[in-house]
This record gives sequence, structure tokens and C-alpha cells, in this order.
Amino acid sequence: MNKSYFNLAVGLCLMGTLIFSACEEAAVPVEDSGIPMKLDTISFPVIQTVTYQVPPELGGTDYLYFGEKEGYKYLYNLIRFDSLNTTNLFTFDRYNDSLIVADSMRLSLRFSVDSLDENAEFQLRYFPDGGDSVFNETMTHYLNFDRNTASPVISSAKMVTDSIDTVSTKIMLNFLMDTTIINVMKDTSHINFNHSFLVELKNNSTSEFKFHSSNKSEGESPKLTVFYRKLLSDSVVSDTSEHDFVAIQDLSVVEPPAITLDDTSSLAVSIGKGLRSLVKVDMGEWVLPSKGIISSAELIYTRSQSDTLTGYAVSSFPITGTGDYSIFKTYDSDPYTNDTEFGVSSSVVENILKINYRKISTEIGRGKKVNYGFKIIPGMNNDPFTTVLFHNLNSDDSYPIMRVIYVHP
Amino acid sequence: MSIRKILLMTVSVSTIMFSQSVFNAYGLGLSRTSFHTSVNGAGSIGLVPTFHPGVSMDNPATWPGLKFTYVSGSFSNQAHGLNNAGVTNQSAGFNNIQFVVPIKERFGFGISLKPLNSHNAFFSTDTVSMDFEGKTLRSNKEFRSGGGIMSGSFGIALPLNQHMGIGLSYNALFGSSRDEHSMVLNDTYYRLFNVRTYSGSTFSVDFAGRLFKNDKMMLLTFARVSMTNKPVSGSLYQFDLFEDTNNNYSFDTGDYPSEVDVDTIDVTNIYAPNSFSFGINANFKNDFNIFGEFELWNDEATNMSFASIHRDQIGSKTHVGSGLVRFGRMGARNWQDRLTFRLGLHRDTYQFIYSGKSLIENGISVGFGFKFAATGNQIDFSFRNGSRTFDETQKEIFREVTVGVSLGDIWFLRRRGKQ
Repeated sequence: MNKSYFNLAVGLCLMGTLIFSACEEAAVPVEDSGIPMKLDTISFPVIQTVTYQVPPELGGTDYLYFGEKEGYKYLYNLIRFDSLNTTNLFTFDRYNDSLIVADSMRLSLRFSVDSLDENAEFQLRYFPDGGDSVFNETMTHYLNFDRNTASPVISSAKMVTDSIDTVSTKIMLNFLMDTTIINVMKDTSHINFNHSFLVELKNNSTSEFKFHSSNKSEGESPKLTVFYRKLLSDSVVSDTSEHDFVAIQDLSVVEPPAITLDDTSSLAVSIGKGLRSLVKVDMGEWVLPSKGIISSAELIYTRSQSDTLTGYAVSSFPITGTGDYSIFKTYDSDPYTNDTEFGVSSSVVENILKINYRKISTEIGRGKKVNYGFKIIPGMNNDPFTTVLFHNLNSDDSYPIMRVIYVHP
Repeated sequence: MSIRKILLMTVSVSTIMFSQSVFNAYGLGLSRTSFHTSVNGAGSIGLVPTFHPGVSMDNPATWPGLKFTYVSGSFSNQAHGLNNAGVTNQSAGFNNIQFVVPIKERFGFGISLKPLNSHNAFFSTDTVSMDFEGKTLRSNKEFRSGGGIMSGSFGIALPLNQHMGIGLSYNALFGSSRDEHSMVLNDTYYRLFNVRTYSGSTFSVDFAGRLFKNDKMMLLTFARVSMTNKPVSGSLYQFDLFEDTNNNYSFDTGDYPSEVDVDTIDVTNIYAPNSFSFGINANFKNDFNIFGEFELWNDEATNMSFASIHRDQIGSKTHVGSGLVRFGRMGARNWQDRLTFRLGLHRDTYQFIYSGKSLIENGISVGFGFKFAATGNQIDFSFRNGSRTFDETQKEIFREVTVGVSLGDIWFLRRRGKQ
């Protein structure tokens, strides 16, 4: 063999063994004596609980509600549409073009079910004098919104059956508007116009009507459609086309029923009633060891109602100031600010709710945060008119307790 | 930490891959004293000739005896087994990469890269269960470490007189190691990482001399004094504990908490080896050699705070070894005559600092080499087998197979004078 080839081959083999070096490793068993890393547990009692009420805010629900049900009065619904259309991102200013003629406009809502048992007449208002903003989806409720700021009724409608395909149908509520409203919305003197509408039943009804809201996943969001034609030349006009504007904010403004004794004597949460609760855990002077990590800090809530509930979501936040745990109170607005960085969520599983507060417990254990207590609120995807009650400190054996498992060097 | 350092650490950690000896987890672990395959095969510490008559590749003072320039590499596979635990581990990696140039049979120089020690270890405790308010907590602990200290060496050989020479070498010590303490709680790992970087240097003075020679035999003597120039110091990067939620061994966005802090701590004077070695070799007819070696090794570091799973570390070592070597002849007509045979026995006694306990290593080594081609190319194989007994209760069996290739070429050839 040529010497240089041989040297090359040997060199490559040597490099190969370096590259493909391997190891097979099995753990050597050792006694656990003095080895760093410890597992510790500690239980903290809940020492104070209270439920309080705020006006219900239904901005994140899946449906827009009309009518009445179980004492809830659905007063009206507010909807705000995007200022840009969905297909080519035109604004209403586009209809000031002399070659485009906007003829009419339609606001449509999709009914929650595809069959119609009972119909009702709805009416529509808008806010020509509302400036750039009329309502806030997350903060507007029946006490802080003045429906008199809306215009007189601009359109009325009843639900109609529409076809999805040759087999399926859907129920739609379509309000038609003429150029009067379009002219207001395309008026360039309105900078960043609010594009908001108020929808309500024409007459009070004891029935409940639900429509898809913009928050419903795989739903059909409220939609504003502008019908227009283009002047292609002096004598030729195109067929009618349409631009769609989808809802970006919507909510039902609801007046809750009266509070019951159960609501005040338990840890209660409800979207529709605006019920929230505070829980104070006595963590004392507990210190999380240096470089320690909390595996779980579960506060376990047991539901006090007898039927079995699974899947109800609850969110919880540490509050940033001292809580009033003395007695059930009703507030016009929530007096407790959420420490949103440490918010957690969990769902009820067979009447047990376990919320893991390890992030905020870590901060409290390291002395970086003060323990004022935790607020529990219902998740916005729940049925807004379900009230869930948990045992509070008055329960003998199902009172809430926090169990902390932590590891440290 | 600069990218250069991270790269250096990564390369260092990934290239030192000894199988885990239990004793890798005592401080900086066992310090290796033989690197070239030919040295391993004779169970030597590198003083006496094992590669070529009169030449040890690990002894710079003997390099002028080489007839060619050599590029050499050694690769080993190690296996360790614990008798009382029924655990066997093995791994492979390089021992040594070396380049040696003899100059006119009087001088020489060389460079090499070799791993000095290894921190490769993996321990686990038994799983225990406890009940916490109706919740079962199953936990055990694991400890892993890897990496170690590398030595990049430069050596020169100088003649003292016609029969004696010395070698001077400077060894830059560098590298990094990583250790991980884990708590496994209900199959979820809670990991704490430490990364250590190392930097220091040592120097050695080697001596080789011919004491006696007649027609039947030649007596050679060798000695080495190795001292610390700059004790190994470095940085300890101590990361916060985190939950390895996705169990991928590293901290990433899927883990808890979302970010971890790291403390950087300067660690000084953690390794300062000094040693004295002595060897004698009797060379008989037909290149048959008998040798004996003795070494006293001592770690004089003042900082004993090196953290490991075992709160103890090795402070000193005594080596005694002897063996036989029969060198093959390059260019011999029969291939059997080109074979070099090596056989050696050694006993190392390690002393632990805190407990005062001793670790005794007994080993036997065999090896052979084969010369080929006109430029003295040599391929060497060695096998070492032995045991380490600690505290008379723990016994570890080790085996090591090493393959080395040394490729020769002609540099600085002594030219014949013009006729």
C-alpha cells in the first residue's frame, strides 16, 4: 500500500474514534446520607375568607344575551366593529370616493341555535356623538354605562332563517341601515369614529335569546356589511359588492338577581352575579430556603353544592393591598387590584378545585412580596349564569388548606 | 462569560469521557499519570523507556533517542465495575495527542494534549415514598458530573553530556466540569447545575542518564520533579434550582421558573500537584528491559472547598511499579521480531485528606506494539486490569484497553558530512 494512503487511512481511523467515542453509564447506588437536595413539605391554614360582589362584567363571554332568565335581566348589548374591513383593509373613508357608491349597510348576528322556536323584535341604535370610544369590553357594566348616550332607534329586525348550504340552515338577526348612517361613519370630521352599536329587544321578554359573540371560538362573530357599487365609467356601474367589518369588542350589559344566603355564607364565584372571593393563607414567617424551588403550593377548595361539577374554570390572583375579610359587601367596582404577573387558573374536577400558587408563594417565601391574600374569580369561558360555591372556614372538614411541597439544596 | 470560554468549556467537557470511577466524585478525582499507549502497556508512569529503546513518549528527556519525528494519538476504552453494587460502566475517549520532534539525536521538542483527570460520575439513591396529606410523594436523588482538567504541554529535551539529558516541560492546565444535583419527585426532575472552569499551570524537569554499560547490559536511570507554577483556579457558575418540566436535561422555556439566576464565584488554589518520581531500567541483550518506578505525588492546594457528592478528596499518592519490556526491531526480517512486548505491575496508594482513609489500587498491564514502514510507524495496544479497594469495604474493578498509533517522519535529519 502506498505510504501516504496508509497514513491517511490510519489518520482517518484515529479521527473517527475520537468523533465516535461513546459511553454507557449506569448509576452507582449510594446511601442518602448528607447528599445535597432535600424534599420538604409544609401545610398552611386558611385563616380568613370572604365573598364580595361587583357589578357583573360580561365582556369575555361566548354569547350576547337578550331577555331574562332566572332573575338575570339582559338589558342591552354593545358591539364595536373594526374600522378596517376584513378583505382589503379599507376604512369607511373609502366611501367618500366619488367613484364608489355605498348604498346600504347591514349588521348581522348569528343566533346560538339553528332552529327558531320563538321570535322577537330587536332594535338598533348607534353612537354618532360617542367620539372615538363608547364602552370598554372588560369594564363596562349596568351601573357605569348610560344607554341614553345612544341615538334613537335606527333599525329594527326579527330573526330570519338563512341557508348555510342545501341542507343546513342558520338563524340570523339582520339590521339594515341606509346611507344616513353610512354618511355619519364616513364623515372625515370624525377622527377614529367609534363604530359602536347598541342592540336590544324592542319589548321586554321573559325569554332568553343568545347570539354568538366575538369571543366564541369557531363561532360567527357579529358583522357589519357595507354594500357598494363602483362607477366604472360615466355610464357603466358595477354590480353590488360588499365589504365586511367584524366585531372587535362586544358585551352584554346585565342586571344581576338578588344575592342569596348561600352566596354570602360560602366562597362564591359567578360571572353573572359578579361574585368573587378572597382567601387569606397564614404563611407566617415561613422562608423558602436559598435556591429552593416550590414544586407545588396547592390551595384546595371543596365545592359545597351536592351535584357534581367538572370543568368550571377559576382564575386566581394575589391582591396587592389589604383585604376586608369582615363581611359580605357589594362594591360599585372591584376594590382589589390583581397582581396579574402571578395569576393562575385551574378547573373544578369532581367538585374539587386545586389552584397551584407556587409562583407567588415563592416570592412570599423569599420575602419579595407581602401576602395580602388571593382573589378567586370565575373564568370567562364558563356559563356566566352559574354560581359555584366552595366551603369556607365554617366547614368542619372541607375548609380550604394550602399544601406546599418544595425542594432545596 | 465569553463565547470563547463557553466553546472551550463545551469542547473540554465533550472530549474527556472516561468511564465513571466512584473516585471521580472525590474532589477532582484520580489524577492520571500515564498517557501514551506504550506507557499504559507497561503499567509505567512514563519515566522509563517503553516506546523505543531508551525512549518514553511521556518523558521529554528521552526524546532525543527517537529516530523520527512522531505524531501520536492514543484512544482508550475503560470499564469500571463495583463488586458490591453490581454496576458496570464503560466509555471511550482519547488519552493523548502528541507531536514529538527529535533534533540531531541531542535535542528534541514536543507538544501534547491530554486529559489529566475526569469528573465523570453518576450516582443515584433509592426511591423513597412518603404520604403528604393523602398525596404520595416518591423521590430519589441523582448526582451527575462530567468534564475535568486538560493539560496542554510543551516540552524540550537538552543534553547534559554524552550520557545524560534533561527535559523541561510546561503544562498549561485548563478545562471545565459540570455537575448536576437532582431531586426526582414523582418523575419530575428538579436540577441544580454547577459549571466550573479551570486554569493553572505546572512545570516538570525530567532527567535521563546512563549509569552503566557493558557488553551484556546497560543501566539507565530516570527522575522527574514536577511542581505547580500557578495553582489551578477558576470560576464556579452556580445556577438556581429549576424544575425540568420537559425533562430534557437543560434549562429552557418549557421549564419552571421562567428564568434562573446564576452566581459567579471565584475559586482559587483548588489543585496544586507536586511530585517526585524515580525510575531505573536495566537493558539487556536483545533489547530486553527490566524496570522499576517510584513516585510520590502530593496536592498542595490550600482551598479544599471543592464541592462534590463525597465530602472528601485525594491529597497524596504513592506509586510503586515494575515491569518488563522487550523492544522489537525495526526492519527485522521476521514480523515477530518487530513486535514490542510489555508487562507491568503497579500499586498506587491514595490518601484522602479529611477522612484519612486510603485507597489502594493494584493493577497489571500488558501490551504490545508493532513497527511498520521505513519511518518507524508503530501501532500499540495495551490492556490494564486492576482493582481499587477503599476502606476495605468498597471494591472497584477497572479494565482499560488502549490503542495508539504513532506515525513517523523525518525532520531535522543529521546529514552525513560531504566525502
